[in-house]
Amino acid sequence: MRRERRDPVDLLLAVFGVLVFVFLFLPILVIVVYSFNTGRLLGAWDSFGFAAYSRAWNNPVIGDAVRTSLVTGVLASLVSTTLGTIGGVALARARPGARWAGVLTALLAVTLITPEVIDGISILPWLVTLGTDGGLSIVNNGMVRLVIVHTSLALAVVTFIVRARLRGMDEQIEEAAADLYANPWNRFRQITLPLAWPGIFAGALMAFTLSLDNTIVASFVQVPGYTPWPVYVFGTLKVGLRPEIAAVSTVLLLLTLAALAVVWAVLRRSGDDNTSVAATLTGG
Amino acid sequence: MARRTQRTTASLSFPVWAWLVFFVFTPLALVVWYSFGYKPDLFTAVSTDQLSFDRYGEVLDGVFMPMFWATLRIALTGTLLCLLVAVPFAYWMAVKVDPRWRPLLLALVLVPFWTNFLVRTIGWQVILAPSGMASDVLNAIGILDGPLDILYTRGAVQLGVVYNYLPLMILPLYVVFERLDPSQREASRDLGAGRWRTFFSVTVPDALPGIASGCLLVFIPLMGDYLTASVLGGARGTMVGQIVARQFTSAQNWALGAAMAVTLMAFVLLTVLIVAALFLLVRAVVRRARHLDLGVSP
Repeated sequence: MRRERRDPVDLLLAVFGVLVFVFLFLPILVIVVYSFNTGRLLGAWDSFGFAAYSRAWNNPVIGDAVRTSLVTGVLASLVSTTLGTIGGVALARARPGARWAGVLTALLAVTLITPEVIDGISILPWLVTLGTDGGLSIVNNGMVRLVIVHTSLALAVVTFIVRARLRGMDEQIEEAAADLYANPWNRFRQITLPLAWPGIFAGALMAFTLSLDNTIVASFVQVPGYTPWPVYVFGTLKVGLRPEIAAVSTVLLLLTLAALAVVWAVLRRSGDDNTSVAATLTGG
Repeated sequence: MARRTQRTTASLSFPVWAWLVFFVFTPLALVVWYSFGYKPDLFTAVSTDQLSFDRYGEVLDGVFMPMFWATLRIALTGTLLCLLVAVPFAYWMAVKVDPRWRPLLLALVLVPFWTNFLVRTIGWQVILAPSGMASDVLNAIGILDGPLDILYTRGAVQLGVVYNYLPLMILPLYVVFERLDPSQREASRDLGAGRWRTFFSVTVPDALPGIASGCLLVFIPLMGDYLTASVLGGARGTMVGQIVARQFTSAQNWALGAAMAVTLMAFVLLTVLIVAALFLLVRAVVRRARHLDLGVSP
């Protein structure tokens, strides 16, 4: 391929690209920088220090909120990944044109395009009904509620990622296993799961981050004592944002980046090139 | 044998069906049911002993519609701006950047995507505040005299919206641009087409699936989003999602709120159908106009 190093359009594109990156990172950098603000209010810079970190660490409300979010994230990720893996395998192995598969795909797609506020307002009366008239008192528990709504949010994403992963795979390997008298469970465990593994892994991570990020639906169903971190942050908007929020966010950002790096490395090791890693991670 | 495998496959999906029916579609059906009810008195959120379409009448006459149009304007402008920024950016990343650097840049695009939505919006609040960074910079280079007055305006909401949804536009575009075959562009140039002609008649048509999915990925969540608006728009930044939410929280009028939710949902579904139809139409027109099928199936 011919390379035109001094091409003005290329140069312009490169400058534009760098500017977009600056735009993308600006507010994140601001949050990281202002987490070292020793003042009482987030936006009013006082001096550099670690006061916000120690105050956040010693604040039991913040601690509870972060703990609630992390536990919810793990549980919702487990439930939605289990269900989504089953769904993804079933959809990938469905006969082309099977009606049940079409309907299921459509239903899952509807959950993807439903605005979060509608998820929130619809699930709240239902949980209240189940918990009071239905006698299912377990749904009155704040953690159970959060896990339910976050599983519903992530289910379609996990299912589609797993399905996309398995679609490219050779179905004959499974048929060969069946011919060799592997029972369905062994076939699933020894053939299908290892094949789908990168997709399952990526789906689990997506489910976790979706849960950790969710504010709107969680704010509807949350019960006192189980306030997740984003809902806590949203609540402090009205009373004044403090640097503690930036401090916790910085720590969470570092954790997320570490998790992302691990997933990327695992997917790369399983033989994907970078583009398909990106495609897997974004559900494409 | 094959038939039995198919039946196993279908029954394998049962837990997913059960979850969807019990935790997603029953609640949604309940909302549709509520939307035909009414609010009988101050202390009851909804009653469905008399069914009517009156709530939908209220939706069309009340505060919902002006908010809906305002939200639609922000969402359409936001989608268009995201597209305008993301097309050259994704093209640059997928085509111009040295392949060795692409994974790193892609990972960098994903970082904001995986930072808490609310927190990165709060970052903009700090930047755009009258005494904030943007104000200082603009004053220093002489563009502005005095404090910046953009926070809690529509402009700030628009900026925040473009920021928050930009990665969702970049990713699908990157994927389609990366999959393009460079030899097609070279062939087009060799056959005498200029840079722009090549871009618009070779690259863009093949990128259509990415453009369509990017637009939907941005537009749909944007129509329901009210976090960006409450952080950056203050009282003036009310979005339609907030109006719906308010009926279920402070106003406790579930019937009206349900009618609003159904209206919003119907609009979103309609949008998806229209975009899908447009996509098929444009692709058909492009195929016909191009005379020659380049043999690339998306």
